[in-house]
Amino acid sequence: MSTLLQSLSTELADAVQAAGRAVVAIHARRRIPASGVHWRPGVVVATSHTISRDENITVTLPDGITVPASLAGRDPSTDLAVLKLAGQSVPTARLRSDTPPTVGELVIALGRPGPSVTASWGVMSRVDGPWRTWQGAEIDSLLRLDLAIYDGFSGGPLIDAAGRVLGINTSGLARGLPVTIPVATVERVVTELLERGTIRRAYLGIGTQPVRVPESLAGKLELQGDVALLIVSLESGGPADRDGLLLGDVLLELDGTAVSDSADVLAMLGGDRVGRPLAARVIRGGQVKTLQVTPGERPKSRAA
Amino acid sequence: MIAPPLVTAGLTQELAAAVDELRRLTVQVRTRGAATGAGVLWDGGGSEGRGLVITNAHVVRGDRATIELNDGTTAPAHIVARDLKRDLAALEFQADRALISAVVRGSPPLRVGELVIAVGHPGGLAGAATLGIIHLAESEREGRTPRWIQADVRLAPGFSGGPLADATARLVGVNTMMHGSLALAVPAAAVEAWVRRAHALVAP
Repeated sequence: MSTLLQSLSTELADAVQAAGRAVVAIHARRRIPASGVHWRPGVVVATSHTISRDENITVTLPDGITVPASLAGRDPSTDLAVLKLAGQSVPTARLRSDTPPTVGELVIALGRPGPSVTASWGVMSRVDGPWRTWQGAEIDSLLRLDLAIYDGFSGGPLIDAAGRVLGINTSGLARGLPVTIPVATVERVVTELLERGTIRRAYLGIGTQPVRVPESLAGKLELQGDVALLIVSLESGGPADRDGLLLGDVLLELDGTAVSDSADVLAMLGGDRVGRPLAARVIRGGQVKTLQVTPGERPKSRAA
Repeated sequence: MIAPPLVTAGLTQELAAAVDELRRLTVQVRTRGAATGAGVLWDGGGSEGRGLVITNAHVVRGDRATIELNDGTTAPAHIVARDLKRDLAALEFQADRALISAVVRGSPPLRVGELVIAVGHPGGLAGAATLGIIHLAESEREGRTPRWIQADVRLAPGFSGGPLADATARLVGVNTMMHGSLALAVPAAAVEAWVRRAHALVAP
């Protein structure tokens, strides 16, 4: 009777079954386990916000066996964490990295908040270019989903109708809304976490607030924009303090790029900036001044 | 000229046909004049003309109810069995002609990701349908039926007591409640076992 509908149903279940072989349950918080994906041999990717302890972490494999795992590293700014398993023969996920998902594409979010795999379906609701998380990490593309979130959703894979992984799902980066961290970002973070255990990020040790520069002053100083960043806090002994920035300086530009939002500053502070001086253009006492500031390496769990 | 998308067109037709079939199986349950939920035509009457509708216990509070069939005809019904723990109730009515009966999917077991269709009457909208997938298929290693079928399908009040069916319109469960964004349905196999036991007690 209904051959197409039945075929679609079977193919969706096949996709879930195939991709589910690389989805594991992660026991690293109280109550309900979270999900993870066996990404490379012996390497499981999960979300950082669902891992509340660094030790005594166990992983339940698709065949129901629970094994110990060690935390190789985590990056709260991308909400990713990497766990290592010893000598397991679980298949790794089939990744789709060649073609990005498209808006309207049928997708399935898998999880394993216990022994069995779970699924919800929906469509890609938004596919966009690179974006920055609230902690300043760059995600290669914005992937928003129209589907139901459930227990164990975070850390599970988003798969296409053929069962290939499009990224790792999390509800921890966009105020509880579901987003997917694309394969490219996961690859990058996994490689760095396995090498270094943390994601290196540069920092200045300043807190800023956007302010409008009075028109008269902007005209006099021949400024381009009228919004700049007032330095409202300065970490004592931090890179900016050491290099002579002062509380009350109004930051106009970093290396020739106008800054009008704290995200603009974070955008200049990738891991490769550590130890490389930046030209900071500031208003101080009604005059424009340029200082050399050398970002340091951000200590763990500090925002800016 | 743009060629019609054949797969989508075919899917749409087949889905509409499956929903049509399910609508004929789905009744509206009214208690004291108010629409309280849906029900599944478990037994369409046959030769003796005694029809049996299965719904949720929370849909029928009293001993009597009125059922309205898909074609608009109504019939008085009375409760012959009720189980508050399983949230099931069985209603008997006099069928003036042989109606269709639900076909329970006995096998194969449900798989995660399989399509499911729910039919009900949310907000008085008779015969509304939603499409989703199986969210969790509990392993039956211990040989017992799981308590609930969990489906990723958006339900609303008014779907209670109605059918959850697979892509071929075979009954897999009776929609009972929402848990967050997930639907919980009593497995059809559990309903079948319950009807066999409970109905035997009251049958003449």
